Amino acid sequence: MTIELLEKLCRLNGTSGDENKVRDFILAEISGFCDCRVDPLGNIIAEKKGASAASKKVMVSAHMDEVGMVVTSVKSDGTLTVSPVGGIDPRVAIGRPVRVGDGDICGVIGAKAVHNLSADEKKTAPKFSALYVDIGAEDKAAAEKLVALGDFVHFHSDFSAFGDGFVKGKAIDDRFGCAVMIDLIKSELPYDCVFTFVVQEEVGLRGSRTAAYSVDPDFAIVLEATTAADIPLASGEKRCCELGRGAVVSHMDRSTIYDKELYRLSRQIASENGIGWQTKTMVAGGNDSGAIHISRSGVRTIAISAPCRYLHSPSCVVKLSDLEDCERLARLMLEKMCMM
Amino acid sequence: MDLEKSIMSLADARGVSGDETNAAELALSMLKSYTDDCFIKNGNVIGRLGCKGAKPHILLDAHIDQIGFTVTHITDDGFLKIAGCGGIDRRLLLAQQVTVLGSKQLVESKLLDGVICAIPPHLETDESKVPEMEDICVDVGLTKAQAEEMISLGDKIVFSSRCEKLQGDRITGAALDDRCGVAAVLRALELVKDKTLQNEITVMFSTQEEVGERGAKIGAFDIEPDIAIAVDVSFALTSDDSELKCGTMGKGCMIGFSPVLDRELSQRLKTVAEKNDLPYQIEVMSGTTGTNADRFSVNKGGVKAVTLSIPLKYMHTPVEVISLSDVENTAQLIAAYITEVVL
Repeated sequence: MTIELLEKLCRLNGTSGDENKVRDFILAEISGFCDCRVDPLGNIIAEKKGASAASKKVMVSAHMDEVGMVVTSVKSDGTLTVSPVGGIDPRVAIGRPVRVGDGDICGVIGAKAVHNLSADEKKTAPKFSALYVDIGAEDKAAAEKLVALGDFVHFHSDFSAFGDGFVKGKAIDDRFGCAVMIDLIKSELPYDCVFTFVVQEEVGLRGSRTAAYSVDPDFAIVLEATTAADIPLASGEKRCCELGRGAVVSHMDRSTIYDKELYRLSRQIASENGIGWQTKTMVAGGNDSGAIHISRSGVRTIAISAPCRYLHSPSCVVKLSDLEDCERLARLMLEKMCMM
Repeated sequence: MDLEKSIMSLADARGVSGDETNAAELALSMLKSYTDDCFIKNGNVIGRLGCKGAKPHILLDAHIDQIGFTVTHITDDGFLKIAGCGGIDRRLLLAQQVTVLGSKQLVESKLLDGVICAIPPHLETDESKVPEMEDICVDVGLTKAQAEEMISLGDKIVFSSRCEKLQGDRITGAALDDRCGVAAVLRALELVKDKTLQNEITVMFSTQEEVGERGAKIGAFDIEPDIAIAVDVSFALTSDDSELKCGTMGKGCMIGFSPVLDRELSQRLKTVAEKNDLPYQIEVMSGTTGTNADRFSVNKGGVKAVTLSIPLKYMHTPVEVISLSDVENTAQLIAAYITEVVL
């Protein structure tokens, strides 16, 4: 995967329910390499022809949406109140730039000057209900000319490489998965398979549910970004997984107990091919597997995830070597699963 | 001078209290358009113009530093522990993108960018908790050995956010406090460029205001002004703040009145604003002002001091907001005043 592709994807704004820009970009990227359709919820279902037919139908899935906010009211001073879309710690929203609505209007989530905070206010981070977006509008009327209730608000932050092979930016969860799937679709694959770029993962695994129903696969591979807590505040098993140690394959999280055979197979394939492989040391988090593996009469599912620090913030951090490990493992697992 | 561009380039320059080099050099280069007699001394950018020796000698000051952090320790796994330089709002630090001010080359390559560690939900469920400074770590994507190679203890750290235009004439950025004040002083010099100034004027873009107005103290000692004007920012009203403490964005320069300021000077600036049809607001403070004016007034045997403040929202956050018109009106007021002083 090129960092340029990941950057382009991450710079697009696509809060859950507002994935159009991401979808349009992906459709343009993969057009000509597969047969695509868009389902009523907005999922892309892409059927890819391989060199030969597969004995099992494998669905590879990643979500297009990212966490963000939605405008709930316009205040008399022209600022906007917002509700979070997906799980966001309000402490990573206060004091940042944002983009508002289809026109990506510049705005900020400010904070009362620290000089004017009471002792109690200094000690307590504000809830989302106390935060507001300032687009520079002078009053309510000026703001209402530009913004409608229900407009989405997206994080806006720099995307860049830093340190020793690390990358930071918003929406790496899960544009990383989208980038891997674009790569796979554009390459020659040995067997036919189906790729789904799904919506609304962050608000309850909703897009993957309808996509899995429509595709009706035997097997599924979910490509994701998962919480790594390899920071000084955490030690031992609390770290969950670590950057630089390779693809994360869970045996169980809060949404899924993964297929045991696939889990073991992934470890074996990784080991045979010198691919970094690790599993999570806590049962935490969840992803589209939760909806996919119990679709219809059941789908044997595995998730391959990039370990990611500061998930659901404007500054997700991943390591490039892990992204490469994930992509290699996904390619090999896909090939194997098509003929299981 | 394009005021908007100047403000944005000044505010995008980097200069944390104690390491203002990048911002100070930019300000010095801009100051050179108005006087050849300019230099940096002990961190203060100083420029002399007007009629040398003609009293009263006027000091126009704006501080060049911004709040930030300093590196205090590198952990075994290569994360940085930091201390604040200036008034830090710890409520908004988690997951902020930052830049370590190491060597110029490293800063430009962006390799010394980083992220302040956020706390994953499985480690902490209380989202109202504000981290202590000692619990804050900066992730620079390096091992301890790599970090020690590239980063020195004492290197400063700034928020990485860049200036952007909002609606109307509003601008957001991380160091508008007080680079917009620097821009206002430069704009004032441009406005009087073709006029004969009858007083001696010294401009100072001072170091280390945010840690206790230290640059102001040492700068004023050398300059020995008779009158000192501290051009800084003050609170613009937001819905969560008190009207008693705040001015209004877009309503002009805030002229300070306080027991520690010279009342006649405050009054004189008010009169100048009125005479020139410039919008202004009165900022009443009941004691010290929290600006360089507090230092100037007690310099040596005493100096008549005043504050001129540009209203600013979200002070000391990476997304401070100002209105361009307030900066222009502040510059116009300074220009009108220094054109006519002669007491």
